[in-house]
Amino acid sequence: MKSQALLLLVVVLPALCAGVTGLIPYVRRRGMLAGTLSSLTVLATLVMSLVLLGRANGGEKVIVNVQWMPEAGKTLAEFGLRLDGISAPMLVVVSLVAAMVQIYSLSYLHEEPSESLGRYFTWHSLFVFSMQALVVSTNLMQLFGAWELVGLCSYLLIGYWWAKPSAGKAAVKAFWVNKFGDAAFLIAIILFHAQYKTWDIDALENQVRVTPPGALVVLLLFMGVMSKSAQFPLHVWLPDAMEGPTPVSALLHAATMVAAGVYLLVRFFPVFAANADALTVIMYIGIFTALFAALTATVQTDVKKVLAYSTCSQLGYMVAAVGAGGKLAAYFHLTTHAFFKALLFLAAGSIIHGVHSNELPAMGGLWKKMKLTTVLFGIGVLAIAGIPGFSGFFSKDLVLEQLEHHTVVWVVGLLTAGLTAYYMGKAFVLAFAGEARSDGAAHAHESGLLMTGPMVLLAVLAVVAGFFANPFARLTHLAEPGFHLTTTGILALVLALGGLGAAWLFHGPRAKDPAAVPGFLAPVDALVKAGLVDRFYEWSYRVVMLGLAKIIGWVDRYLVDGVMNLFGWVALEGGAALRVVQTGRAPDYVFAVVVGLVALMAWGYVGG
Amino acid sequence: MVPVSSYMLLAAGMFSMGLYGVLTRKNVLGILLSVELMANAVNVNLVAIGRSLGDGRGEAFALFAIALTVAEVVVGLAIVIFLHRSRRSIDVDQAASMHG
Repeated sequence: MKSQALLLLVVVLPALCAGVTGLIPYVRRRGMLAGTLSSLTVLATLVMSLVLLGRANGGEKVIVNVQWMPEAGKTLAEFGLRLDGISAPMLVVVSLVAAMVQIYSLSYLHEEPSESLGRYFTWHSLFVFSMQALVVSTNLMQLFGAWELVGLCSYLLIGYWWAKPSAGKAAVKAFWVNKFGDAAFLIAIILFHAQYKTWDIDALENQVRVTPPGALVVLLLFMGVMSKSAQFPLHVWLPDAMEGPTPVSALLHAATMVAAGVYLLVRFFPVFAANADALTVIMYIGIFTALFAALTATVQTDVKKVLAYSTCSQLGYMVAAVGAGGKLAAYFHLTTHAFFKALLFLAAGSIIHGVHSNELPAMGGLWKKMKLTTVLFGIGVLAIAGIPGFSGFFSKDLVLEQLEHHTVVWVVGLLTAGLTAYYMGKAFVLAFAGEARSDGAAHAHESGLLMTGPMVLLAVLAVVAGFFANPFARLTHLAEPGFHLTTTGILALVLALGGLGAAWLFHGPRAKDPAAVPGFLAPVDALVKAGLVDRFYEWSYRVVMLGLAKIIGWVDRYLVDGVMNLFGWVALEGGAALRVVQTGRAPDYVFAVVVGLVALMAWGYVGG
Repeated sequence: MVPVSSYMLLAAGMFSMGLYGVLTRKNVLGILLSVELMANAVNVNLVAIGRSLGDGRGEAFALFAIALTVAEVVVGLAIVIFLHRSRRSIDVDQAASMHG
């Protein structure tokens, strides 16, 4: 089949599936049928994406643009499909993780009511469509539309258990924070169009070489990335998003949707790179997020919260790498992270499924009950910690090497690598080592094949993906990495091993109280519990938003309404003053006629 | 021959008296009489000026005006009778129900 047709199918097929599962009541009410349909569709999408990846690897490039609402000589916007070395790997990552997650969901959510499950898989298919449409975008308008759609899917899936108030609140919070960033994003693309008269990504990239955009426009665009990829201070929605089902967290809030921001940075790199100041800001925001989120993760007790902050931190790495000019490092870390973080989330889901609790202090000793999950989670931990041989080692090393020229950033990056190993090791040790610390943990059981199967595949990828750094670089044409072990790599490795060792020391079976926060992290714990960022948003809402609302309310009540009331008052008082003229006596009217007549005659005599 | 100006002075005096009556009388019949006086002042003017111009147009107009005045009086008296029936009075001050 021709690549154009394949590309169209990759995008449209999930949308068709969402239409079928969402609009045909027979399918929607049978959750397992909808789930099977959806999984098969996304598997077909995966196969087509793999074919496309092969063709892109062979050097094939496809760009198709269709005009939307064409008018004489100009068009409102364009739809486009684009296949090249950058979009092809992302297509595969999205459809692969989506396929694994959907198959996993069939088992993980089998106790859900059938109707809800139909809804669940409809949103999943819709998400795959939106994400693929985002990946293949040729212009900013289409990208923005898809960007909004993935945000909508995120909202719908976080709020899947809408009857739970916390889930509803988390969904709304995610939506609001994302809308805040999206507003900046929209302003940015309008400004781009005002300056360059085009939305086409290729055309923009050519034009920014001639006239670079202002830092403000670039940073506005980056605001969209910040909200979508959970960068400080717009990261607040991501930990709350863990209210959604765990497979949703694995797909949207770990592997693909949150990576959309980084994908945009990579895809649109020439534009970001055209303004060096903006790029520096991006790097610092990224590395600060990485450190901040890693520190926060060290004191979390909810396994999903640990993973959420870890995602935040890893996204910070990617953003920092782009800020330092390392788009290949960022993109490669995105793909390996998608595999091992999806694996970690699915393994965490497997634990939660067995223990019926998210709390790490309530786990322990799961190694004896869930051997396969232990191994899989362990692979994920080693990968994210950056142990040689696992994918995270290669991609994180690429990122850290990019940061070498900025000493402070580099040191923070290394420190974060150590922290990452520590909190992931802590989660692993708390969950699997030692003795069971609750009834749930004592009666845990291994998950079924539908859940372990996808995890095994992701685990294989989490191990081997790292070895594809060079082919990946050739495919994406981003840069030639030429992997070699440098001081950075060795330092990162030492810190990672140190982190894992510290985790064993403080939280292992020999520790007095494994679940306790070690003394040196107590200030972090206190700061995290204080919830400063959320407090700041609350404060700014109360003081800034409500204050502004009060001022506007005053203006409306007393100035705008005042003018209106003045007109009314004048009419009423004027009428009251003039009514005395109307006596109702006929002679008075005659008198008025006579006076008027005399006056007219006098006027005619004198003035005429 | 009496000059036209004398007739016109007489007519102006009659008109002013009529106007004064219209403005001051409280009795509707009195107002009606005053209106007649004003109408006849006009008639005096018409006849006097018609005579001085030497053709019959002024007299003809006056005749028409007298006929019209008769009709007007009929309507006016009808209103007076109606007013009297509804209010048991022909005082204009008491018919001031349209005051603001």
